[in-house]
Amino acid sequence: MSTTPQARVRSLDDPELYVETPATIFDAIPPYPPRTEREAEFYSVREGEMLINLGPQHPSTHGVLRVVLKIDGERVVDLDPVLGYLHRGVEKICENSDWHMVVSHCDPLEYIASMFSELVPVMAAEKLLDVEVPRRAEYIRVLACELNRISSHALFMGWLALDLGGLTPILYGFIERDEIVEMLAALTGQKLLFNYMRIGGVNGDLNHEFMSRLGDWMGHAAQRIEDSQTLINENEIFVKRTRGLGVIDRETALRMCLSGPPLRATGIPYDVRRAHPYGVYPELEFEIPTREEGDSYARYQLHLDEIKQSIHIIDQVLHKLPDGPVMAKLPRLLRPRPGRAFAAIESPRGQYAVYAMSDGTDQPFRLRIHDPSYFNLQSVGLLTPGHLIADTMAIMASLDPIMGGVDK
Amino acid sequence: MTLTRSWSRLTPAGKIVVPLLAIVVALTVALLLGMVTGIVPAITGAVLDTLEANVGIVRFVVAILAVLLFTIPTAFIVGYLELKAIAFMNLRLGPNRVGPWGTLAAAFHGFKILAKEDFTPTGADVPVFTLAPAVVFLAPVLAFLVLPFAPGLFGQDMNIALLYFFAMGGLGVVGLMMAGWSSFNKYSLLGALRAAAQIISYEIPLTLSVVGLILLAGTLSLNQIVLNQQGSFLDWYVWQQPLGFAIFFIAATAEGNRTPFDLTEADSEIVAGFATEYSGMRFGFFYFAEYVNVFLLSALTVVLYFGGWLAPIDIGAVLHQVGLTFDPALDPGSLGLGLLLGILIVPPLAIVALALPFWAFRSGLPFWKALVVGFLLFNVIAAGATLLWAVASFEVVEGLLWFMAKTYVFVAILVWMRATLPRVRIDQLMGFAWKWLLPAALVNLFVTALALIVIDAVKG
Repeated sequence: MSTTPQARVRSLDDPELYVETPATIFDAIPPYPPRTEREAEFYSVREGEMLINLGPQHPSTHGVLRVVLKIDGERVVDLDPVLGYLHRGVEKICENSDWHMVVSHCDPLEYIASMFSELVPVMAAEKLLDVEVPRRAEYIRVLACELNRISSHALFMGWLALDLGGLTPILYGFIERDEIVEMLAALTGQKLLFNYMRIGGVNGDLNHEFMSRLGDWMGHAAQRIEDSQTLINENEIFVKRTRGLGVIDRETALRMCLSGPPLRATGIPYDVRRAHPYGVYPELEFEIPTREEGDSYARYQLHLDEIKQSIHIIDQVLHKLPDGPVMAKLPRLLRPRPGRAFAAIESPRGQYAVYAMSDGTDQPFRLRIHDPSYFNLQSVGLLTPGHLIADTMAIMASLDPIMGGVDK
Repeated sequence: MTLTRSWSRLTPAGKIVVPLLAIVVALTVALLLGMVTGIVPAITGAVLDTLEANVGIVRFVVAILAVLLFTIPTAFIVGYLELKAIAFMNLRLGPNRVGPWGTLAAAFHGFKILAKEDFTPTGADVPVFTLAPAVVFLAPVLAFLVLPFAPGLFGQDMNIALLYFFAMGGLGVVGLMMAGWSSFNKYSLLGALRAAAQIISYEIPLTLSVVGLILLAGTLSLNQIVLNQQGSFLDWYVWQQPLGFAIFFIAATAEGNRTPFDLTEADSEIVAGFATEYSGMRFGFFYFAEYVNVFLLSALTVVLYFGGWLAPIDIGAVLHQVGLTFDPALDPGSLGLGLLLGILIVPPLAIVALALPFWAFRSGLPFWKALVVGFLLFNVIAAGATLLWAVASFEVVEGLLWFMAKTYVFVAILVWMRATLPRVRIDQLMGFAWKWLLPAALVNLFVTALALIVIDAVKG
């Protein structure tokens, strides 16, 4: 469609702005006018360059991430991530809910592994309340979290392959996830948003169905992880597409505040479970796998190693599980002392933390959530320019962001 | 009333096409009626004379119609295979609702697509946007025209069939470019440019890889190439041209935009490439074209390297050596009235005979149910016997069976690759074509030519 140049017409995006020609679909990428210098530079397109919207509805942006790519042919010159399509204001909502409701509100943040996003506010509240959590509850928390970590990592492997064009591995990843999710459903009654962690313990003891499912699964888990990794580990195309792609060095990784697998793939053995131990992790024995390369392939392999470590942890927990209650004795209405508390855990994506302030009422005065996806996703802008469009997906998938947590 | 409303709903183009179509249909019916009833002998004579005088054109029209009709079940079968086979490799069940084992799922997808809205986006170049799916679909259909299915069963026997085949295969990229350019969508544009780069690059190794085979065969006619491979399966060209076959199959995969070279539609990168803005039956045409292309490339592989319609071993000769001779010559006319008796008496007796054991050994089974089972069994046996008889007596049937069996092996391999492999990147794709396939094809050509010269020198 050719548009006839007209003298001065109002812009489609900003009625206050006059443009030389009416904006066509090709021009209509906001913002008009640019709000910052960076935007002015980014949205002024040179000869041969083109802006293209990746998302918010795109098969491989893992939710509602929108990235405006500036491309020159197939090569990405620059990019501008636009966040906030899933913003619900969870932090603000939490300020108007009592401490029990906070857990439910934080639950869907990291919705692939929601055991972690509900554990953190619980831990912060426990620090404010000075509660002693029963040891059996602590062990059950570790058990549930590690199971959820495996299910999240299994899905990650499938996603990465799916974004590279492989149809099958995602469904093999879903086998593990299905079994674990069924198991956790037997334990918690939910499949996605568990609402299992409670301030002072967990909601309900281990039951027979959960234990029998877990026993079945433990029998073949390690073997099946090995099997499904043979699908893509040695695949020439997969290796060629991920090795040497999106390389982060240690200094950059630290400067970008990365955590979790993207950080450990650069060779820094930082894991909150060891660096700032919480729960019963000091009593358990496990390694922190690291890789030196810092590329997409290293991140993928790191996830495999972590699955094996998690299975090892679950094995120990099942041997050491003590008897006793699973909930501490607490009043129904919780009024923590006025003060501040910081709790951090190692989620499948990195350091997940909550900084909570209490003013002595039954509601948190302020609840600040540090989500690892957000910080890991930042590095896309650093890694992608210079690569091809197809590599954007491989890099983004290997950073494994969850938009629920990024946009909060 | 309904008619007026339907008429007012037609597009301007439809208002021209529909009356024309009605006139053509009416004329055809009138002509046929005239010929059959012989009311006007002059018409019959004139029509027959015209047909006879233009037998080439008549053959072409009939062949293209047959090929066009043949693509429909082919697309459905390949589509079903893709749904079901990939489902099994993904540990899913796949389609299992419509028809036995979901066999009608692909056909119902076709009907569903017919009923969907045909959407044209704002800013699209409407004529090009509308024509593009037809071009994409007709390219493989035209290529079908020279494909020999069985001895004597082909559209046209050209002496430049192979060249024509590649020319028609290359035509598809024009349609993809049209679709991508006219959609007014950046993803479509990227897909179209990828398609152009990829298909034109891979055409070179594809064509070069068969030059060695052409040297061996000494002809470009696909019929002759198949006939040259007569004998046992050891005479197939794949043994003389293994490298050529490998290059050909890889390049053909890229020509057909199949995984791992499906960059043009790469749904995880550029959403669906050239097909992003298409919906309804126009989108269906792209899918049709893809499945037909899969069949076509497999068929060409079979024709060139795996002996086309030829059996791997000559079963008749083997049987003869063992001492068994099977003479299927059956003249039903010689039986006279006995034939009528056979048709009337044998089936009921056979049905009852087949039903009896079921009735006897399954307690509680009513006799009519046993009869139904017997009827079905009899039909299966009769169909099998007829097929066996047809295979034994007609070369065409046997050839067609072998051809289809071999072709679907390669279709299955392409489907298997789709379920297994991730997608390559555009630079790796181009690098592979120019740095590896092209030199390898040239080496293949050189070695073949050298071998031919040496053999000639030794012999002569």
